[in-house]
Amino acid sequence: MAVLIKLEDLTVRRGRKEVLNGWNLNIDSAEVVVLSGENGCGKSTVIEAAAGLLNLENGSSKIQNQTIRDSEGRRGRTNFGLCLQNDCVMGDELVGEKLLDAAQANFDVKSLLDEWKLGHRINDKIAFLSGGQRRKIAVLSALVPAMISAQPIAVLLDEPDSGLDDDSIEILVQLLRDLAAGGHAILVTSHNQKIINAANRVISFPFSEKKQSPIIGTFNKLESKKSTTKNIGLRLNIRTMSGFANNGIAGLLVLGSMLAFVTPNQLGSEMLFAFILAPALAAGLNGDPIFKLLQENRAHAWWYVRKATPPNAFAHVFLGCGLLTILSSAIANHWDAIVILSGATLGLFTAIVVTILSHATLRLARPNAVMLRLLTPILILPWAILVSRLS
Amino acid sequence: MKRLGEVLTLAGLTGAGLTLWLGFTWAPSVTIEAFESPEAQKIFYWHVPSAWAAMLSFSLLFIGSTMWFFKRNQWAWRLHVASSEAGLATGLMCVVSGTIWGAAEWGIPWDWTDIRLNTFAMLTLLSLFLVLGRRSQPDGIETRDTFSTFGMYGFLLVPLTYFATRIWQIRHPGPVVGTSEGSLNSDMGLVLLIGAISFTILIIGHIISGMRLAHLELRFEDLTSKYEELI
Repeated sequence: MAVLIKLEDLTVRRGRKEVLNGWNLNIDSAEVVVLSGENGCGKSTVIEAAAGLLNLENGSSKIQNQTIRDSEGRRGRTNFGLCLQNDCVMGDELVGEKLLDAAQANFDVKSLLDEWKLGHRINDKIAFLSGGQRRKIAVLSALVPAMISAQPIAVLLDEPDSGLDDDSIEILVQLLRDLAAGGHAILVTSHNQKIINAANRVISFPFSEKKQSPIIGTFNKLESKKSTTKNIGLRLNIRTMSGFANNGIAGLLVLGSMLAFVTPNQLGSEMLFAFILAPALAAGLNGDPIFKLLQENRAHAWWYVRKATPPNAFAHVFLGCGLLTILSSAIANHWDAIVILSGATLGLFTAIVVTILSHATLRLARPNAVMLRLLTPILILPWAILVSRLS
Repeated sequence: MKRLGEVLTLAGLTGAGLTLWLGFTWAPSVTIEAFESPEAQKIFYWHVPSAWAAMLSFSLLFIGSTMWFFKRNQWAWRLHVASSEAGLATGLMCVVSGTIWGAAEWGIPWDWTDIRLNTFAMLTLLSLFLVLGRRSQPDGIETRDTFSTFGMYGFLLVPLTYFATRIWQIRHPGPVVGTSEGSLNSDMGLVLLIGAISFTILIIGHIISGMRLAHLELRFEDLTSKYEELI
């Protein structure tokens, strides 16, 4: 049996505590392993460390022979399923669309949702679902990559049963056994006895290990057609108008405020370019419009595991800042393609810097409490230099 | 030597006061034509030493951040905490005195196109970000790693700030010490030297006291956790 999940000598600190110290775990193909134990004993830490979401003080996490993260800072990605304690779903994603994005393939989503009594919600936004229904989508997002894969892959589930009704737990237990029959390796944390009974091995914290012989399932691969998910951020931005509501309005407000005091056609060369480019700078300072959506339910963590670049709408920021620059150019009656391109590029550059800074604080316990705006005044410098060069 | 930090801080403050007094009453005024506002030039005896002390603090911040991030040394985190506070204090001294001089000499307090002004202000804002940000978070490895990362990358601004007036002299004056173009006479140089030494002592004292305070705060938190485990 091939080892699909290999956690080697894991040492992880969270807050001021060392949660795992030299932890080892190998999970073979076709094996379901359940981690159980009291709250706070480190079960979720194992899942998050295995998924590469935590910095490792020592050791490494490998999934399907790919190093996901190690203490030397190496990182990698591979196709595996993940469901964290937070549902990691954005409220503005559609139910069916979310599962297709998770699968990165086309398959019969409706039938799958029908089995989970969610078929009628296929076109609804996840935000409109109840907590339990949302949990089902989070769990299915983790299971779908394995359900459509003929090659054995790993699935990591952190308390998938939380918030699920009894019928759904029965379906989940059966599905876990069916996936194991297909060779997939599953690591689950749970307190639920039905899920514990479905495991080949139960590891209880602080540490004891028990082997079991659960029922054997039947794996029927879901028919699917490979497709790549593209433009998720742009799709979400169009649906939510987040780019207009955040970046666009900021740019228009700056333009409007300037017009209250300035007559553009009486401005000198330097002030004229400052006037034309200021709305793009203000729009860019709001960063990526999708970033706030990604913070909902910790969705950024799930996307981090899937893609090196999370969903974003930078292309819209570029276009929006270009449009704002065209508008301010029209008001100032000064038409220059280089200035318009400069405005679009300035807005994009500013938004990228703000977004990188925002992503850098996501590991904190209270990322929204950090005053990141304190670091943004430096972004006036490229605007001022650009104005100086153009004039 | 438990009070070394406080003693050095007091000595540094006294020296800084002496520098101000000498600068305003003893050091000669500039008479060269290059200055629009020669009287305002005396701010220089406060501005330059505070800038030097700020650069020293930012360098120590980099050492503390790097040693914490890669070696997990507890003293390094305390150095990060103390030097970010020292960098904020001296950075603000430098920025405020600079804007006062700029208003008198250039007619405007700030120039957004000047690289030196902006990168230095950015370093000061980075210190403010680190000080306020740290207070908003529970202490832990995630907090320390995140703010250390900002401390490490922020250091890139130090050489950029240092060389800014040598590469792109836009509005901020170029170097006056250790260059052939310097316009300092010996009395001016002496007051500036006293200022630089005083601010160095002040910053070392402040950082030693700050590190001790950070150590006591962390010890207090540990004792609180142990107490909570017992009850």
